[in-house]
Amino acid sequence: MKTRYPDRLGRRLTGLFLACVLPLYACADQETDTLVVAFSKPLTTVDRLYSIQREGLILSRLTDDGLFFVDPKTLEFEPLAAASYEWVTDTQLDITLRDDVIFHDGSRLTAEDVVYTFEWVLDEDSDTSRGPVIQRWLDSVETLAPGRVRFNLKLPYPMALRDMAVSIPLRKKGTYEDETADAPLNGIGPYKVVSFSAGREIVLQRFEDYYEGSPKAGPAIEHMKFRVIPDQGTQQAELLSGGIDLMLDVPPDVADNVSHLPNVERLEGNDIRIGYVTLDAAANSDPDTPFKHLKVRQAINHAINREEITRYLVRGSAEVVDFACHPRQFGCDGNGPRYRFDPVKAKQLLAEAGYPNGFSFDLWAYREKIIAEAIVNDLKAVGLDVQLRYVKLNVFSKVRNDKDMEAFFASYGSGGTADASASTGVHFARNSARNYSGDEALADTVLAAERTIDPGERQALYRQALNRIAEQAYWVPMFSYSQNYLLSPELEFPVPKDGVPRFWQASWRQ
Amino acid sequence: MMTIREAVSGSSIASVEHSDAEQSTVNLGMSPTRAALMRARKHQGLKIALGILLVMAVFAVFAPWLAPHDPYLQTLSLRMLPPVWVEGGQWEYLLGTDHLGRDYLSRIIYGARISMTIGIGAASIGALIGVTLGLLAGYFGGWLDQAVNFLVTCQLAVPSLLLIMALVFVIGQSITVVIFVIGATHWVFYLVVTRFATLRLRELDFVAAASAMGCSRFQIAVREVLPNLVNQIMVIFTLEVAVAILNEATLSFLGLGIPSPTPSWGLMIAEGKTAMFFQPWLVILPGVSLFILVIAVNLLGDGVRDVTVTNRRN
Amino acid sequence: MLNYVLRRGFMALLVALTVSFGTFALFHFATDPAQTIAGEDAPQEMVDDIREQYGFDRPVSTQYFNWLGGVLRGDFGESFFWKQPVVELIQEHAGVTVMLALASLSVTILIALPLGISAALRPNTWVDRFALSTAVSAQAVPNFWLGLMLIIVFAVTFPIFPVSGDSTWRHFVLPALVLGASSVPAVMRLTRTGLLDVLSSDYIRTARAKGFIGYRLILQQALRNALLPIVSVLAVQLGYKLGGSVVTESVFSMNGLGRLAVESIFNSDIPTVQSLILIFVLTFVLLTLAADLINAWLDPRIRMG
Repeated sequence: MKTRYPDRLGRRLTGLFLACVLPLYACADQETDTLVVAFSKPLTTVDRLYSIQREGLILSRLTDDGLFFVDPKTLEFEPLAAASYEWVTDTQLDITLRDDVIFHDGSRLTAEDVVYTFEWVLDEDSDTSRGPVIQRWLDSVETLAPGRVRFNLKLPYPMALRDMAVSIPLRKKGTYEDETADAPLNGIGPYKVVSFSAGREIVLQRFEDYYEGSPKAGPAIEHMKFRVIPDQGTQQAELLSGGIDLMLDVPPDVADNVSHLPNVERLEGNDIRIGYVTLDAAANSDPDTPFKHLKVRQAINHAINREEITRYLVRGSAEVVDFACHPRQFGCDGNGPRYRFDPVKAKQLLAEAGYPNGFSFDLWAYREKIIAEAIVNDLKAVGLDVQLRYVKLNVFSKVRNDKDMEAFFASYGSGGTADASASTGVHFARNSARNYSGDEALADTVLAAERTIDPGERQALYRQALNRIAEQAYWVPMFSYSQNYLLSPELEFPVPKDGVPRFWQASWRQ
Repeated sequence: MMTIREAVSGSSIASVEHSDAEQSTVNLGMSPTRAALMRARKHQGLKIALGILLVMAVFAVFAPWLAPHDPYLQTLSLRMLPPVWVEGGQWEYLLGTDHLGRDYLSRIIYGARISMTIGIGAASIGALIGVTLGLLAGYFGGWLDQAVNFLVTCQLAVPSLLLIMALVFVIGQSITVVIFVIGATHWVFYLVVTRFATLRLRELDFVAAASAMGCSRFQIAVREVLPNLVNQIMVIFTLEVAVAILNEATLSFLGLGIPSPTPSWGLMIAEGKTAMFFQPWLVILPGVSLFILVIAVNLLGDGVRDVTVTNRRN
Repeated sequence: MLNYVLRRGFMALLVALTVSFGTFALFHFATDPAQTIAGEDAPQEMVDDIREQYGFDRPVSTQYFNWLGGVLRGDFGESFFWKQPVVELIQEHAGVTVMLALASLSVTILIALPLGISAALRPNTWVDRFALSTAVSAQAVPNFWLGLMLIIVFAVTFPIFPVSGDSTWRHFVLPALVLGASSVPAVMRLTRTGLLDVLSSDYIRTARAKGFIGYRLILQQALRNALLPIVSVLAVQLGYKLGGSVVTESVFSMNGLGRLAVESIFNSDIPTVQSLILIFVLTFVLLTLAADLINAWLDPRIRMG
């Protein structure tokens, strides 16, 4: 593979740019100690309990702490605001809190605050976006003693610490009843919110009373600003002209282009997100859909050139995946059939299934249009008449949830969780809108895995599920994503292993 | 008192109306057609416009034979090739390739086809709606005229691009939908001209006389009004073609127009936008094509107006 | 006169209601607002809960009239996407759009009037031809493309102006140029033809022939008459700019009403879309009404009619 360098015009542009821009802007942000990051999507709230966006998660890691957190090195779930924890039984978890945790308003974190937070989220009427996450398994929370709380679970649930770490930031007792509070958010994280303007920007400042014993203590940068810039081209221009210091989720083409400039650094890291094509095996969309035939689904698997798409379009550290999960997730080790790119075989399988002349269908997609187009082209090449229905997410979701799609290309980030329950589990559960397999036995396997605590047993159950999915070709698993970051060279920023940046780790190079 | 409608038609199209009255006084001693042709031969803008449009139309119509490659053929290993005059370009791909390794020249040639189809299609639908409504409103008057007037007010008061976007978003993206939606939102000028002409005609005596002889009055109106309006409608039509082409490009640019992988210039600009600082031709080439086409269509419109209606520049 | 104003006002209201109901119905049939609220990776139960809670399972007309009832009390509903009152959203975004509209209107006036006037004073000279070709070019250049080119040249290659945003006056320069350019052709042509008409009218011709008036008088006398239609056109253009800065705001990532409207369409944020359309329509009609009144004030002849 040849790497393409910017052409002459590009270089001239670069030269001009270097001459003009650098002296003007280079050190501006370092001098004011402000890290400016671009967000592609506007954030509707700074309260993680009411947000479902990935940007909300990124921000919450600065402004909030939960009882546990995801250790950036190991991706294990470790105590954060909790000093220690103990499983009394399979369904009883006792937690001792740290005694030096302070809210942004100056008050101290107590056991009552923890109980309040969880009861608020458990309460159906409070309508948080996190409610559905813990309502399934958490029965109640009670104060045992000052600084000690007990969690009573409805059922044995291996991912309890994960849910607490990823989804439940702690709130001051009475936060949601108090309507006089004027601060946008009262958290316990290492940064406090200074101002928040929904579609425009979020400004943070380091919280100087943050508890020193925290693994997140002592962040280097004093101010952070998150600017909402939906357009990738505009983000690039801002980065080039010094308006922002860091760009997230950079498309590989952009990363390749921009990283050839000497004053921009490119970082590349993993993401736990995978791309896939789902086929309507259950014939929900149409009782006569060709996709109810196993051979047709296998043919589609053989027809898509996943290697080439991954190599040229996803690029970076992205890899072809063969099973319905991310290879770095626990339980993701299927050993069932893998489908090689083989258009001849695809045509043959189509003929055997009774479609020697192909058939016509819509492929739905809502992101990575280029890749969706490439898939369509591959399918056309084996004689299928495919129309790309590239729509916005809400339309996509509507049609998908109505089970009206014959085939769709989508991706799933598993909420950054390195466990197959977050991918395989979510997609093949019985009541999942994403489940187009109609396979009851498979749903049972997935459910059993979710309720099993023993790691060995869980792994075996997931393997069984993954092999079944591969044998039946319910999916065309496509690729794992690679994450590209572009940043100014003064900035030091450790690449997150799960694709969710932790900006409290960022610092300026001296 | 000035109405919205008159204010809106303050654009170039409006002068068609104003000059109406002078028409008869100028062409003494020569048949109007001959006079128009004479003027056309001397009209620089018109000649340039016709030349450009002719070339573009040839490319659009004969695209399958003139385009060097299949505009849909993807070769991922050859993606993002620069044009031939830039370092790294290849003669086989004169204008380079796009992000899926498709030949850019072929896509631009096919893009002319899309733009012209949509321009002419949408302007025709607009003409059909506008002229029909204008005839009906002008001839029957009364509540029908008022209803049409209400429609016009609705149409003019809504930001048209937003309305088009909402409609396309909801109905679904396809060439047909885009043509119909743009057409259905651009008929006011036709209506204004037709309604005015029909109104005047209704007052004339000979219509009454003809109807006394047993002809349907509406038929007469249609037969009398339309031939007189051909020139004006032609001018409006050309200018609306340009508007429709720009509208389609804007829609496609915003992601609510022609669906991929159809080569629409607006869509190509949108797709090239993320690379515009490094592979600027991805944005410049379709933009320039669009500009040339629209300017030619506009010049044609201006030219037709100048030669058919009185030449107001002198 | 009062009668006329009332009738126009009633008409405007009727127009706004018709259009907003149309939008409302369209969006409810084609998208799933519950999923919009819940978000991409939301579990199914949550989506169902929301559907029930917001009453999306009720008939569309019921939902519409509920909304309308709220509007009459000054409550435009809550945005599905932003989860805050639409009134607040509009307050937050209106400033940018009004600023941009006024700035671009100034750009239009500053370019179109001088061009139109000089073209009319020297018809068929290079001045005239320059003015006309400017108009023709401005009419043919796609708005969004012009924006991109300006960013490449004046924001990145020569970083004179910021690339995007709306926090200082410098952010408004390039967008105002783009949006202003789009109205130049109409206003320029109208100024030119209007002025030509007045200049060729008998009384001015006579006065000029006898050497009675110079250019200053021409500008005072003739322009005053020629201005009448221009005022109306400017009002209409301002209306278009308030509702039509959709593209410009998107290209320059400005947080105005236009971009809010586009995003709300994409998000199927029905309350926001229909509130915005209602507001755009009302603004437009009010502006044109205002233009009529100004005309009446400028020209006593109209007042009599």
